[in-house]
Amino acid sequence: MTNEIDEDEARRPPHGDDASAAVKALAGVPRTVSLLELFLLFSQLGLSSFGGGVSAWIRRSFVERRGWFTETQFAAALALARIMPGANVINLAILIGQRARGIPGAIVAVLGLVVGPTLGVIALAVLYRRFAGAEILHSMLEGAAASAVGLMVAMTVDSARAIFRAGKESGHPASTDIAAMGVAVATFICIGLLHWPTAPTVLCLAAISMGLAFLAGARSPEQGDDGG
Amino acid sequence: MMADDRVLLALVAIFVPLSLVSIGGGPAVLAEMQHQAVVVQRWMTQREFADLFAISRAAPGPGALLVPLIGWHVAGWLGAIVASLAFFVPSSLLVYGAAHLWNRWRGNAWHSAVEAAFAPIAVGMVAAGALAILQSANSGALAWATAFGVAACRIWWRALHPLALLGLGAAVFTLAQAIG
Repeated sequence: MTNEIDEDEARRPPHGDDASAAVKALAGVPRTVSLLELFLLFSQLGLSSFGGGVSAWIRRSFVERRGWFTETQFAAALALARIMPGANVINLAILIGQRARGIPGAIVAVLGLVVGPTLGVIALAVLYRRFAGAEILHSMLEGAAASAVGLMVAMTVDSARAIFRAGKESGHPASTDIAAMGVAVATFICIGLLHWPTAPTVLCLAAISMGLAFLAGARSPEQGDDGG
Repeated sequence: MMADDRVLLALVAIFVPLSLVSIGGGPAVLAEMQHQAVVVQRWMTQREFADLFAISRAAPGPGALLVPLIGWHVAGWLGAIVASLAFFVPSSLLVYGAAHLWNRWRGNAWHSAVEAAFAPIAVGMVAAGALAILQSANSGALAWATAFGVAACRIWWRALHPLALLGLGAAVFTLAQAIG
């Protein structure tokens, strides 16, 4: 493990440009994005996301507005972020930052996401102590949190639509879409309703999802090589 | 609120292991955090913990900001920094390693297959996360109505900025409280 990473670190500088060109070709992360820009972007995302739902903001920013990631790439990164230990959105920031600028990119993205909001949350705690029992503040925060859940619901619908549309455009047969829909619903039932442990459940579902996609793909004349 | 070394060490001793087992994020280890902070270390009362949790959930930013908030509560700014590093760094190193491997194989046929397989799972997980938050919110029907109203607005009225929708939710709840 350490060996592999060391070896790769040693290889990094001469291949840096090639790697970022490959990334650009596949996903559209601009090569020129600066660390400051990444930091400010993630700060803005962190500070805008009242009441949670940060991943909905990240998706809006990087998939809808900037097109750095396709819907499928983003969803896969999100799944990876959720099955690894650590806060989901922090993991997502690491995945995006790493993709954009390697180690400094990952560090800067996480700092952006955490530093501003940490100051905010502590300021709020100070306010809360000073005006203990300020019901109006409490109601406002609860309301914003409920809205944030609404943003997550909308994100679910948007992502589902976009993923199925991408499947259609890449020439997958309709059975692939039905399988994907089934997997999405099964995930919701297993984790949301039955409360099965996330990581093993997701890994099993991923195996099933790949199997279904393979079966559906085997029957199609031409197989799309990339979901996006 | 003097930052004393023992308290800082305790923060590290508690949050580093939690970081490594927090699959599914902060909520997965919330119960253990509460047990440690309230029962084992006696840093705060149950009520104080609930307040900190409410603040971390309502403030902008990742929900995991409960961790720096606990650090701040017990040891001021230094506590916030130490708790954050203890909780965020270990899991981040693991994720960075995973991201590195993941991107190295980008372009392979099976990489695309895995990506496509994970995409619908993420959709299901986000929906499950939304459900979990709605179930834990104590506002009941109003929270559900607000959430689905906001979702509908977001889907059919794209021009509307998400911040406006958050403001709308805050206004609805404030109004409901003023009336009820």
